[in-house]
Amino acid sequence: MDNSATNSEPLVVDLSIPFPTSREAEIAYGTLSVDAEPKRSSVKKTVVHKDNMLHIHFESNDARFLRVSVNTFFDHLGLVVQTMERFGPPRLK
Amino acid sequence: MVIAIGFEGSANKLGIGIMKDGVVLANPRHTYITPPGQGFLPRDTAKHHQAHALDVLQEALDEAKIKPEDIDVICYTKGPGMGAPLVSTAIVARTVAQLWQKPILGVNHCIGHIEMGRLITGADNPTVLYVSGGNTQVIAYLEQRYRIFGETIDIAVGNCLDRFARVLKLSNDPSPGYNIEQLAKKGNKFLELPYAVKGMDVSFSGLLSYIEEKAPGLIESGEYTPEDLCFSLQETVFAMLIEITERAMAHCGSQEVLIVGGVGCNQRLQEMMGIMAEERGAKLYATDDRFCIDNGAMIAQAGWEMFRTGQTTPLQETTCTQRFRTDEVEVTWRS
Repeated sequence: MDNSATNSEPLVVDLSIPFPTSREAEIAYGTLSVDAEPKRSSVKKTVVHKDNMLHIHFESNDARFLRVSVNTFFDHLGLVVQTMERFGPPRLK
Repeated sequence: MVIAIGFEGSANKLGIGIMKDGVVLANPRHTYITPPGQGFLPRDTAKHHQAHALDVLQEALDEAKIKPEDIDVICYTKGPGMGAPLVSTAIVARTVAQLWQKPILGVNHCIGHIEMGRLITGADNPTVLYVSGGNTQVIAYLEQRYRIFGETIDIAVGNCLDRFARVLKLSNDPSPGYNIEQLAKKGNKFLELPYAVKGMDVSFSGLLSYIEEKAPGLIESGEYTPEDLCFSLQETVFAMLIEITERAMAHCGSQEVLIVGGVGCNQRLQEMMGIMAEERGAKLYATDDRFCIDNGAMIAQAGWEMFRTGQTTPLQETTCTQRFRTDEVEVTWRS
């Protein structure tokens, strides 16, 4: 996390999450890209998937909102991964 | 033959139910129970749902004796409810819908209650009293909408009961309302409380403030017992609900009344409603705690009806919403 940023330069978190296959990354993207950030949160979040990777970019001027957003994302990501482990592998398209 | 699975997590109950053409194949539920004196907060409730969703899902599949490939549609509660718990539950629904290559459908929680109540009781076109910890509405069906005839203008009746249970430090197991009901059975000295019916609407917050403020002193002095206060509270709030329900029935010329929602399993409420219905020559329909209290099967049942008329939700639109009124949904499955 870049903590040196000032108000004019937003705080940024970038995550790259690998999945066993690109299909699983695609499913995680499908689940995790739906929900908008809460209205009161100032965080801008973008989710992209490329091959077997999921890339998430968080941006905010407020470190507290940023932390909450990243924490929530990890909770949700964990739930997706566990769901895949117990109820996967994905059926063929 | 259509098999629908429903994911419910709008409040402190995490439920997953499986319906096959009007038959309940499985309906397990796990409730987040807080210590006496405490309510459930969004974040902790979301953590509870995250921790239990997959076990409850496995339990549902085992109990129904079906495989994921047998399922035709995945239904989840879109709202209304608490944001974080709703999203946590929807995340599991979205993920399995993709893993299993099944269509997904967002369901209105209130519609779930109504459709499950109609299915279980066989009520055809009832006036509905929907009473729970988060909702208080009198509803009647007209031209493709469940129309709200009356509702609370502040807190839900169940919230009023739950919060008074906290004042008395009653257990939240199995639910605060259940424990209020048990105490009320032993009460007999009636304390007059503010009775707030405003047209077709009801208000409970003033009444709650009043009894919250008075209760400690009245119990301390020995003037009233906690049992008397639970009795007085129930008699007052239920009388208000019966009054607006009766007025809606008179307006609609309805001969059926259906009680749904968590407070709907209260025996005293059912008894009072039964008396009113009998006096009008109408019939009362109610269910027990398996279907009154939030559960997954009700979401599957409403979803089953929606799916039958060709509805599904594109994955990118499977959001959740804390506010989602009963009358926003076009009822495509009824004539």
